[in-house]
Amino acid sequence: MNHDTRRTGSPQTMTVHVETRQTVARRTWRRVAGGTALLGGALLLSSCSRNSPQDTWKPKGDSARKIDNLQRPVFLVAGIVGVIVFLVVGYAVTKFRDKGQPIPKQSHGKPALEIVLTIIPFVILATIGAFTARTIVQIADTKGCEMTVNVTGQQWWWEYAYPATAENQKYGITKPIVTSGELVIPAGTCVLLRETSRDVIHSFWIPALNGKKDAVPGRVHENKLEADAPGYFAGQCTEFCGLSHANMRQWAIALNEEDFATWVQNQQRVATVYAETDDSPEALGYRAFRQNCSRCHQVNGMQNADGTPTIAAPENNIVAGSVPNLTHLMTRSRFAGETFPLLNKTCTERLTKAASEQLGAVYLEGVTSDCLNRTQLEAWLRNAPGEKPMYVKPDAKGLLRGMPNLGLSEKQIDSIVTYLQTLK
Amino acid sequence: MAIIEQPRTNVALPAGTGAPALVTPKEAKGMFARPVEPKGWRDWVFTVDHKKIGIMYGVVAFVFFIVGGLEAMLIRLQLAAPNGKVLSAEQYNQMFTMHATTMVFLFVMPMASAFANYFVPLQIGARDVAFPRINAFGLWTFVAGAIFVNLSWFLGGGADGGWFMYAPNSTKMFSPGHGVDFWAFGLQITGIASLTGAINLIVTCINMRAPGMSLFKMPIFTWMIMVVQFLLVFAMPVITVALFLLSFSRGFGGAFFDVKQGADPLLWQHLFWIFGHPEVYILVLPSFGIVSEVLPVFSRKPLFGYKFVAISGAAIGFVGWGVWAHHMFASGLGPISVLVFSMATMMIAVPTGVKIINWTLTMWGGKLRFTTAMLFAIGLIVEFTIGGLSGVTHAVAPSDTQQTDTYYIVAHFHYVLFGGAIFGLFSGFYYWWPKVFGRLLNERWGKANFWLMVIGMNLTFGPMHIVGLQGQPRRMYRYDESNVHARFWNAISTVGAFVLALGILCFIVNVVITHRSKNPAVKAPLDPWDARSLEWMTSNPPPAHNFDAIPTVHELDEFFHRKYAVDHETDEIKQIATAEQIMAEQMAHAEKDIHLPSPSYWPLVVSLSLPIIGFGVIYSHILIAVGALVTILGLFGWSMEPSVATKDDYEPPAPTDDAIKELTA
Repeated sequence: MNHDTRRTGSPQTMTVHVETRQTVARRTWRRVAGGTALLGGALLLSSCSRNSPQDTWKPKGDSARKIDNLQRPVFLVAGIVGVIVFLVVGYAVTKFRDKGQPIPKQSHGKPALEIVLTIIPFVILATIGAFTARTIVQIADTKGCEMTVNVTGQQWWWEYAYPATAENQKYGITKPIVTSGELVIPAGTCVLLRETSRDVIHSFWIPALNGKKDAVPGRVHENKLEADAPGYFAGQCTEFCGLSHANMRQWAIALNEEDFATWVQNQQRVATVYAETDDSPEALGYRAFRQNCSRCHQVNGMQNADGTPTIAAPENNIVAGSVPNLTHLMTRSRFAGETFPLLNKTCTERLTKAASEQLGAVYLEGVTSDCLNRTQLEAWLRNAPGEKPMYVKPDAKGLLRGMPNLGLSEKQIDSIVTYLQTLK
Repeated sequence: MAIIEQPRTNVALPAGTGAPALVTPKEAKGMFARPVEPKGWRDWVFTVDHKKIGIMYGVVAFVFFIVGGLEAMLIRLQLAAPNGKVLSAEQYNQMFTMHATTMVFLFVMPMASAFANYFVPLQIGARDVAFPRINAFGLWTFVAGAIFVNLSWFLGGGADGGWFMYAPNSTKMFSPGHGVDFWAFGLQITGIASLTGAINLIVTCINMRAPGMSLFKMPIFTWMIMVVQFLLVFAMPVITVALFLLSFSRGFGGAFFDVKQGADPLLWQHLFWIFGHPEVYILVLPSFGIVSEVLPVFSRKPLFGYKFVAISGAAIGFVGWGVWAHHMFASGLGPISVLVFSMATMMIAVPTGVKIINWTLTMWGGKLRFTTAMLFAIGLIVEFTIGGLSGVTHAVAPSDTQQTDTYYIVAHFHYVLFGGAIFGLFSGFYYWWPKVFGRLLNERWGKANFWLMVIGMNLTFGPMHIVGLQGQPRRMYRYDESNVHARFWNAISTVGAFVLALGILCFIVNVVITHRSKNPAVKAPLDPWDARSLEWMTSNPPPAHNFDAIPTVHELDEFFHRKYAVDHETDEIKQIATAEQIMAEQMAHAEKDIHLPSPSYWPLVVSLSLPIIGFGVIYSHILIAVGALVTILGLFGWSMEPSVATKDDYEPPAPTDDAIKELTA
């Protein structure tokens, strides 16, 4: 038997039993073939996978396409090199197995062959390098961008501020817009993102439109997004940012010029003010919201009982010093750092499967009462940290990282949900 | 025969002078005396023998391999399906942090140290390392640090910032528990172990080679280890500084990463990766060394392009310093930096490719025997090639901005570190087991071990390429169909993890049955593999003093050339001597005056003082003073202890120097 003969130890008796040897060679071959197939399969499947929202091989915008054009040939070359290596290794292990041949000549190598085999990978890599250099420079160039959005990451959501700069005013942004989670941009326009963070490092990523760019506190990093056509593009924070990193999602919504103008106009509207004497369910919700939520959450236009504007002070309650502005909550499709759908299943599907031409219309409908994912919203109001892990134990300065359980009664929850539905 | 250092007078006394024969003392007296011939556990705990230290490194590292493996299994169970409920978000974050920390710092690095400690002196024909007590100190310091890091599990939870521990997420404000403190100080301690070990091995490689062994006759494993030690000497100080900045930020209000006070958190990233990238080569080069030993033995050919492999190893070590920022392509470096680091990263693929080519050409035209050690070595070539090629795809910086922090990267570095580093270590286990323990591991269990590991690793990490390119980010305790449509491949990965675990179980079973077997066939012959290098020119396991006579080296692969020579008539290679004959000749020329260092208590004392300081940093500053006092005491004892048992300890007492002069006059 194989291992018995081996154990007798002397070099002459150490040849492996013929049958076993062949089996081993066959197996080795099979595994080499398996490895090759696996790599090939990986490439194949990743390029024609099912509808994966964050697929990195389905560019829908300029930068992502430049990256894609660069990486496809690189993957191909890598695949070919891999297959060649496996074939050579496979051939060597089958051909040169110990068949009782004499001990080979003790050659220490052939320098000429060595040098040639060093130059070949060098040339391949230098070629890839040249194309890489070109793409790096192209993607970093933000000169042609026509609109600017300030993107701020914090645990565990993104804030987007559209300043009323001269450039942005061309898109109707005459008053600053602050929104969160969903970045709405005009299709076919290069949008410059100026990224930063209020706490730890986050990374902004919409795979269909561009690669990642970290949002680092104390720094502003420029990044650009351009979508070819209207669409609903998934992404998420990709720099580990603590407890709920997995729940820090983001979407980019590209709208056509007309729809984007509609969206901008609506975002600049302030919320309705309900009279203190009003007894409608919405007015009761308005007051419940003001009492329980407005310490942190800003709703533009909301007024205190004495008619002064209600100004949220998240800096007194939250480490990052900011929480999502809810003035137009119901224009978004998700909430709580885009963790949960605000639309129910049917309406979510309608949005994600909308054709590019219809997307604007569907998205601008917002969350209608038929579409509201009421269960999830109520669950969140009932016990937010139970739904999404957050640090709601106050630190030494009494600050939290996330929304605590506010201990709302069912009646209050109902009332607040009724009010939130008016925030369109 | 335990050989300890004795007063030189013992052997210098001329025969017939009438001086009484000296008896090796059974115990040593005096305040700082060294232990003499300890038995049982003391023999191990106080030893300075590089072989015992190597074995202990190996055992401890393997225990942590199992710990890290169990952590990995929990991660895979959590991710088997969307919205996993096995772990909470908090536990999951601790789990992946500690899995990586354990595998990198507490398994692969010390396991490489195990091989280096055991085999470097044997391969270069030395009796021990240059500084045996520092070697013991390195071991115990590593053990102390490893346990210290893991104590966090029982004292409030493990570190939760990822093994890369990016600031400011790792600062007190964002990670208020003690996990990161234990992590930072524990790694500081294991860093001291690595650093001292590195200096020790460099001096050993440079100063203690057998006569005739020039650098280019040094076995390739020793070469790779030497390169790694140089990397450690330069890399560890960087992480030491980074960890101090972190510890001071957390413990003493240092504002090194606090943006509000003008700091830039990217400082941490640069420091971490200036250490972290060379660290990758620190992990993988020892395994490259191992397979570069194994492939020639089982191909019966010298390593193809030995000098190219040695030089490319050194080149990787050197260029490895200029690529750290490829871990930071998305961090906002600016296009010029990105471009430079992208190009440098592609260039480092060249010497790495050279190795793959050389290994393949070593097999080419050979006489291959597919032992388990050989299978693991071939496995390394194939799996590492996959990891290397996926590495090239993200050396291309723009594609890396799509791939970084996704499972594609997880797939890449597991092919490199599991398919590269760990396959190499397993190849080493099977190849050198008979040398270390005098027993041959069972080949059938070995093959089961190998095939299950190959299948398991491809099933586990192969699908991660796919889910990564489909956009599944790393470090997520949960995913759902709104972002990741990867239910099938994630499930496959988890199944693969169990196959992998089964493969490793086969190894453990193999060890147990090999060591419990009463069958005389498990006893290793002198030269079980028809090997080529010096470590096989002594018994299995080697005696405490390694070689009865230090061999003089004439060739690379000295042992092979003593066994075989070209027959000038037929031009064929003929055996001219058996291993037994060579061994007998060595014994015939055995040296009589062999110096070996005595065991020592003090390395252990100094090592154990370090975690006390660590506890002090975390819980009570008074403990820092206590720990520092123990350190100083230990170092004092270390420096004051005699290099040999004192003359008073001999029975009858050894003659004084004057008496010897008189006698020999």
